[in-house]
Parts: sequence; structure tokens; C-alpha cells
Amino acid sequence: MPSAQPLRFSSTESDVESEVAVITERPWNVIVWNDPVTPMTVVVVIFKRIFGYSNNKCTDLMLTVHHEGRAVVWSGQRERAESYCVKLQVAGLQATVERDA
Amino acid sequence: MAGKLFSRRRDGRIEVRLNDVGRAAIREVFAHVLAAEREPEHEWHLSLNAPINPSSDDDDPLSSLARQNEIASNAELSIMTLNEQYLNDAEGWAWLSTLQVALRSTAVVNGLLSDEKLEACAPELLDDIRTMQQFLFELAACF
Repeated sequence: MPSAQPLRFSSTESDVESEVAVITERPWNVIVWNDPVTPMTVVVVIFKRIFGYSNNKCTDLMLTVHHEGRAVVWSGQRERAESYCVKLQVAGLQATVERDA
Repeated sequence: MAGKLFSRRRDGRIEVRLNDVGRAAIREVFAHVLAAEREPEHEWHLSLNAPINPSSDDDDPLSSLARQNEIASNAELSIMTLNEQYLNDAEGWAWLSTLQVALRSTAVVNGLLSDEKLEACAPELLDDIRTMQQFLFELAACF
């Protein structure tokens, strides 16, 4: 039997709260994937050349690729992400772009 | 201990100390990359055209074209400077990029996607890969 209770509460103007939803666009990530042939020093040099990161940051990213199979090396606008991805591919690394989860 | 194959000089140039055998080996590698970029039937062609955005059905044609042009121009510059004793920074970078493209394409077309498969591959192929790795390792030290 259906309940006799009302399905929704009645409200007055003063009860209603308005919310402003701020929708931020999710960034695009540039991913570099591990492979068994590329020397580690080459990966570091390519990151340094393309992104201008410090030696330490490049080494950390390279080790993430090596141990985890992939690393996010840059995040931001889609066009720039694709441009960096192309530069990495031109330098011979396996790279893709994907939208941040 | 053998001397370095590549050395960065104080004036910024990269000295190439390869003998004829070494230059011939590199010439073959560079020629393969250029041919692969120009000939769709070349066995390396697909590996040079990997997807940029795998979640999309098609990549942006401008991005694909930019990649194609840059890989080809790096290979062309590398071939043009093959007999030079000294490379400037851009030429050295073209050599490094083209060698790395060749190395990864070799791995991809032979299905060498793990350490185990690499170690189990044919000795001749492994020898080619080790040679390219050695060139790259030494050239990377100049950057």
C-alpha cells in the first residue's frame, strides 16, 4: 500500500538555499609509458629538454615511469598537452594524452 | 678503457669520434627512420604513428602532421650531418631523437615490450639494440 505521507516537504522561499556551482574543466595529462629499451639517462635528458624541469624532477619522473609503468609528466590545457605529447613522440618516447580522472 | 664516442667541447659543439664502421651503422639507422616516415609499407611506419589521444577515434590531423614533419626533418638533418666531426646542439639533438625513434621502433615491431622478451630475443637483434643503446647513452651525456 502506498504511504499516506507526502513525498516531499513543502518549503517556503526562506528555506531554499541557492548554490552556485563552479565547474572547473578537468586538465589534460601527458603520460609517458615505460619501455624496456630506452636508457634511463635518455629519458631524463628528453624531459629536461622539452619541459625545462630540474635534474631532480626529471629523475623522479623517469623513476616513476620505470617503477610504475607510466608517469604524468605535464598537466594543463588540451592543446598544450597534445603539443608536448608530439614533442615527446618526436624524441622517441611513448607518450599519450588523457583527461584527468 | 675505450674513449667516448661523443664529447661536448667547451665551445658547445659535440665532437663525434665514431669510426667508419660506427658511422655506417648510424647511417643505416637514420635511413630506416626516414624511409619509415615516408613509406606507409615500411615495418616501422605504424610505430611512428602511435596515437596521441587513445580515447579519441582520430587524432588531430595537425598534430599528426607536425609529428611526421619533425621526425622526418630530424632524420634528414641527421643524414646530412653524418660525416661531420662536430655537431652543433640542434644537430646533436636530431641525432639523439632519430636514434631513440629507431630504438623504440625496433622494440615495438619485434614485440619487445618487457625485459623478459628483450633478454629472450635473437642474439643478432639484441646486439643491434645494445649498439643503439650505447650510442644513445653516450650522446645523452652531452646534453
